[in-house]
Amino acid sequence: MDLSFTQEDIAFRARVRKWFEENLPKDELKSLDERVAWHRKLYAAGYVGMGWPKEYGGQDARPMEQAIVQDEMARVNAPSTVNGLGLSIVGPTIIHHGTPEQKSRFLRKIMNAEEIWCQLFSEPNAGSDLAALKCRADDKGDHWEINGQKVWTSGGFIADWGILLARTDQNVPKHQGISFFLINMRQPGIDVRPLKQITGGSEFCEVFFTKSRVEKDHLIGKLNQGWQIAQTTLGFERGAGTLNRVTTYLMSLRRLVDVCRSLKVNGHTAIEDAAVRQKIGRAYVELEVMRYAGLRILSRLEKGQRPGPESSIAKLYYSEYDKRYHHWVMEILGPYGNLLEGTPAAYAEETGSGASGRHGVWGVDFLQSFGPTIYAGSSQIQKNIIGERVLGLPKEVRTDRIEIAKQKGG
Amino acid sequence: MDFDFTSDQVMLRNTVREYLTDKCTSQFVRSMFDDQAGYSKAMWKEMADNGWLGLTFPEDNGGLGLGQVELSMILEEMGRAVLPSPYFASVVLAGAAIADAGDKAQKDKYLGGIGSGELIATMGWLEDATSWGPGAINLKAESGGGGFVLNGLKRFVPFAHVADVAIVAARTSSKPDGITLFAVDMKSQGVATTPVTNMDLTSKAAEVSFSNVRVPEENVIGDVDGGWPVLKRLLDKAAVSAAAEMLGASRKSMEMSVDYAKVRETFGQPIGTFQAIKHMAADMLVEVESSHGAVYYASWAQAAGAPDASLAASVAKAYVGDASRKVCGDSIQLHGGIGFTWEFDLHLYFKRAKYYEPMFGDADYHREQALRTLEAETK
Repeated sequence: MDLSFTQEDIAFRARVRKWFEENLPKDELKSLDERVAWHRKLYAAGYVGMGWPKEYGGQDARPMEQAIVQDEMARVNAPSTVNGLGLSIVGPTIIHHGTPEQKSRFLRKIMNAEEIWCQLFSEPNAGSDLAALKCRADDKGDHWEINGQKVWTSGGFIADWGILLARTDQNVPKHQGISFFLINMRQPGIDVRPLKQITGGSEFCEVFFTKSRVEKDHLIGKLNQGWQIAQTTLGFERGAGTLNRVTTYLMSLRRLVDVCRSLKVNGHTAIEDAAVRQKIGRAYVELEVMRYAGLRILSRLEKGQRPGPESSIAKLYYSEYDKRYHHWVMEILGPYGNLLEGTPAAYAEETGSGASGRHGVWGVDFLQSFGPTIYAGSSQIQKNIIGERVLGLPKEVRTDRIEIAKQKGG
Repeated sequence: MDFDFTSDQVMLRNTVREYLTDKCTSQFVRSMFDDQAGYSKAMWKEMADNGWLGLTFPEDNGGLGLGQVELSMILEEMGRAVLPSPYFASVVLAGAAIADAGDKAQKDKYLGGIGSGELIATMGWLEDATSWGPGAINLKAESGGGGFVLNGLKRFVPFAHVADVAIVAARTSSKPDGITLFAVDMKSQGVATTPVTNMDLTSKAAEVSFSNVRVPEENVIGDVDGGWPVLKRLLDKAAVSAAAEMLGASRKSMEMSVDYAKVRETFGQPIGTFQAIKHMAADMLVEVESSHGAVYYASWAQAAGAPDASLAASVAKAYVGDASRKVCGDSIQLHGGIGFTWEFDLHLYFKRAKYYEPMFGDADYHREQALRTLEAETK
């Protein structure tokens, strides 16, 4: 057991820190072009797609190096890469399951953000029960025809391409009739409608397909194996954000302490208030525990071990923490927490450094915190996974499983 | 970055677990409820022979020279087994204080004996106030007659009734930190021990009164008026160590709950099938694994002298205190009526965790300590 960073990692961090100090954009990135330009600058420095193999333009970087770069970006509140989904999920999926033609056609353009990607998995009636999806792909001889609807598609309105799960066999148990496609989003028959969220912003969309087209050679893996491929795809997310998430919260917490030095409550400053101190103290304690858990995951990844369903523990912890933390912030700020506009600058969050363009209002983050316990597997789904796959508890009685058992038996 | 135990550490852990599984059965634990001594002398001797009592002491004093990570691993196993013993009092508190601040003669005199099990030591810290700062220490030590004269009362002194020597924190100056540590022979004239009964019947303790107790000069541990920094360091170590015991109790409770949820049937299904139970068990695992990270990060930080060692100790104590109460409490709920019975073992784990929850600073205290480090960073 040795939880210190190696000399190599310390030196690497120093180099990365210096690079960001010298290259961080001074002004807010407003247009997509500006964001793409920043992405390419990061790529040129070797900080994009770091974990990809060298032959596809990556660095073959260790998980710790990737985590350090992410962490340093969080420290200076640097704008993120523009093609996050393409880099974290689409690229690795194509690298693992794609044909040589798919690799040469798509990978480089993901890396340099020439083509932006989105994920077309969830449907209005297939969220947590993703395999219940109904969007269909029919074989039209020379191409696949897509009809149906997707929802909660992050960044759908800027995407050039999407990874799509669609039903290709209606007559088998639901997990067995799904295929994994790459679909061009810039074609007739695709209607992308941004959804306005609880925060007032629009990060995701609903997407409607009417006789949309997927080329025959844009199927990933074999026909009707989409479910298995999607399982490995979702696994590529693991380990990302182990350190930078903690750093982001830590900056927010430090800002909160600052605010509490001037905010008045019960005739003294908030920082002198015992109840306020306990809330911030608890937030800090739980954040440090998150840091240790992150280091534990990184330690596994460094040894080449993939964290299995245990990564559900991390997901559950940080998403529930996000909710608790912002709830405490709102309690501490009182009516100031409700303000979205006209917030006294002294009481606003200082994360909008101009570089990220993020408007620093705690109320928005509070509303946003209702997302993580729902997306990427809700907290309840994570608990099912932990209960069944980690603790080995018996599976829930589900009618779809009974149907499958009947079909197998019959 | 390596968060896994070394093979030597795993071997140590396995040896301790095998020993305690064999010797520290539920029947044995229960037999100690009403036992006057509250521990087994035979087991104590065997633990000494295995090197566990001198685990962290210097090799010059017959110890193994190991660190807090190994100590926490042993304590986790003791929490798992609810071992009734003066281990924490003698080794983790008094022994550590002597190893930290004692002079050569004192180390020679005490550490070998503690490590070999021939000498049982304890620590007198708390008085009337339940707080852990120097201001709560008012037992008076006045110099005179070639030594000091102690007057006052120490409460919650673990295993004081079987201790040969107690490290006593006493006030020697009116300055807020004016504390001195003394090694007091428990047979000294004027020392009186009154047992108290804890909720955890395996964690025996007593009130110890000091009435004109004469302590020779050479029994001052460290410097006169210099005891507080020693106590402060010890408080961090004790907090991590207590968290390790609580972790052991909660992990064992969780394991029993999961096993039970797999076999106990109701409405024609094992109860673990139901999400209400499954989610409760999943929450337990999140708490237990988070506690594991907190305990061993803090243990490593102690051993390595990391800059955030004190913060990590507070994080571990605050987090694991809350988590173990929740996990052990939910285990009782999950078992239903049987979890509430005296015959079933769950309450043993719950009570062991509960015993340590306020000790060496409760969650409120350690959250406050953690916040102070955050404040210092942002000044």
